Amino acid sequence: MKRFLETGNFAITEGAILAGCRFFSGYPITPATELAEAMSLRLPQVGGVYLQAEDECAALHMCIGASLGGYKVMTATSGPGYILYADPLGWALGCETPLVVLNSGRVGPVSGITGAPGQGEFYLMRYPTQGGNFETICLAPNSAQECMAMVVEAFYLSERFRMPVLVLADQLITDGFEDISVPENEGEMKEMGFRVWPRKVCQGPEFYPYTDALDIPPVVLGHNTGAVCSDWTPTVEGYDIEEVDAHHKHAYRLIYKVRNHRDLFNQHYEKKFMDDDPDLVVVSYGSPSRVVNTAVIKARQQGLKVGALRLINIWPFPDEHFNRKTKYLAVELNWDGELVREVQRAAPKDSEVHFLGTCGDLPSTPDLIETFEKLLKNEPITRKGWVLEAW
Amino acid sequence: MDYRSSEITSTYLRSRKIPSTACSGCGLGMNHKIVVQAIKELGLDVADVVWGTSIGCAGRQTFATWKGDGFAGTHGRAYAIARGLRIALPPEKRIILTVGDGDAFGIGLMHLIHAARSNADMTVVVNDNLGYQSTGGQYGWTTPQGSRTDSSPYGMFEHNLMSEGMDVLEILKGAGATFLARHVAMDGAWAVETVKKAMLNKGFSLIHMPYPCPTNFASRELGSRNQVNIYRWIKAHAAPLGQEKEDTFWACGIWHDASNSRPEFHEYVHETVERIRRTGAL
Repeated sequence: MKRFLETGNFAITEGAILAGCRFFSGYPITPATELAEAMSLRLPQVGGVYLQAEDECAALHMCIGASLGGYKVMTATSGPGYILYADPLGWALGCETPLVVLNSGRVGPVSGITGAPGQGEFYLMRYPTQGGNFETICLAPNSAQECMAMVVEAFYLSERFRMPVLVLADQLITDGFEDISVPENEGEMKEMGFRVWPRKVCQGPEFYPYTDALDIPPVVLGHNTGAVCSDWTPTVEGYDIEEVDAHHKHAYRLIYKVRNHRDLFNQHYEKKFMDDDPDLVVVSYGSPSRVVNTAVIKARQQGLKVGALRLINIWPFPDEHFNRKTKYLAVELNWDGELVREVQRAAPKDSEVHFLGTCGDLPSTPDLIETFEKLLKNEPITRKGWVLEAW
Repeated sequence: MDYRSSEITSTYLRSRKIPSTACSGCGLGMNHKIVVQAIKELGLDVADVVWGTSIGCAGRQTFATWKGDGFAGTHGRAYAIARGLRIALPPEKRIILTVGDGDAFGIGLMHLIHAARSNADMTVVVNDNLGYQSTGGQYGWTTPQGSRTDSSPYGMFEHNLMSEGMDVLEILKGAGATFLARHVAMDGAWAVETVKKAMLNKGFSLIHMPYPCPTNFASRELGSRNQVNIYRWIKAHAAPLGQEKEDTFWACGIWHDASNSRPEFHEYVHETVERIRRTGAL
């Protein structure tokens, strides 16, 4: 094991290489630029290829091309670039092409504030492209070390589900310097819980079987298997077809291969003080969860019966954590409330669901504890003229 | 019914995709035949080629016709996809793209320019039916000026990439393409020779191939879906390079041949990566 004081971007690069990534194409964008830079330095050292693209749309299309040629591939961006992935991500979802996409959230809309963290793409991770009829897998780490782990995990899942797997971080996580341990061999990787799945090649002739089964090897071109893939609804063999019945079966696969195998990744969450039915459950993901954890520990020391639920697997949304009728507080890095809507949907009817938003900066521990106290006393939470209940 | 009508189709094409789903009288089949004939004359096997297509008439009608591996990309992005694929595939595998004019010269032009810049080894055949015909017949970026289409009912009056002395191939030459040519679909064996030369260039090659669309283009511009009219009209407006007349839209032949004059993308990138891996520097 080697230890470094380095950025999340460094950790992601090392994780990707450990997972077998040998192709990265990206477009410079704050705060994901340093990841592209790290890849441009590291990939050639392990025989991999870094290509700078003319835009994000080309970056992900080049990644898909390389994945279709048999490479494990990755790209990374931030919000304004992530929307340009909509086109290729739809294709990759439909063609069931394994790849990993990392989005480092900043403050929006549009270019917003480039160098500050935001969480405005919670729903964009679930619905990253047009047309619907698919399920997505998204993992949201909250530290550099966990970024490495989740990128390795994303590569593993992308091969087994043969689909793009999305990793949602934010500016604090990718740009922040932290203590990082990098495993140096397979034994150490296993010790750290890193799972790796090799690229396999679908031999056909059924390239797009209508099944929810895992571990169907992806379509790889150039092996003369007669593989075809396209942006149209496929027949089982991959031919384009304009029939509702065929589309229904294809959509079943795209949705239920994920929904029916959530046990492969739904262990990715963290609970603190959740064993004694807390009166308030604070829900968060990504960098705000680090302050939430501190605030909940302090609140417990003050006798407040508060628990923390940190989601890492954010999509498909893990409804199973919200089966108890209690008070919920979603803490997010946006002012409009996104995670909170999903919590409200998943929580039992008549549960109280509250929202505390900040953007560009983390909430402070005293602010959080004050909010916990108010909610436990059934007082409204307001701050500086913002009606936080009005999300 | 078995439509395997000739040796060339049974060797290289999937019987499932014959007959074509193209409209009656469409000229795309002539372009398609020219490309497959060139492959045959070069002595290539099905396994030697990965065939990519895109959106629109040309993309959809040629998708999965090739007996070997193939893909249909998103609209305008086949060139970026092919660059990624080029890196991953062994250099001896050939990539052929059959795309449309809207795909290559409209939505995909930037990606096309970057594919030319990088000199990625691929042969791009732009099947130009003079506009967006699969959506009903709107003008494109190489539609002859003055043409009446569904989106230019008064005649196409915008400047485009083939008007006033401009030529889309000029852009691609400036971007670094190493082989550029133009033929109309009726050029037959002459076009086959050109496509063969394009495929022998280890680098980025593009052939611009206008072909007749009786269903939409001809019905608006010529007022008739009679195939003979549009075939004659295209032939009348084409001439060999150097023999252009006043009403020539398409000067045919090899337009720019710098074959094998620049390092090819796959080889250059992999050689460079290997050097860095071994020595730690360029």
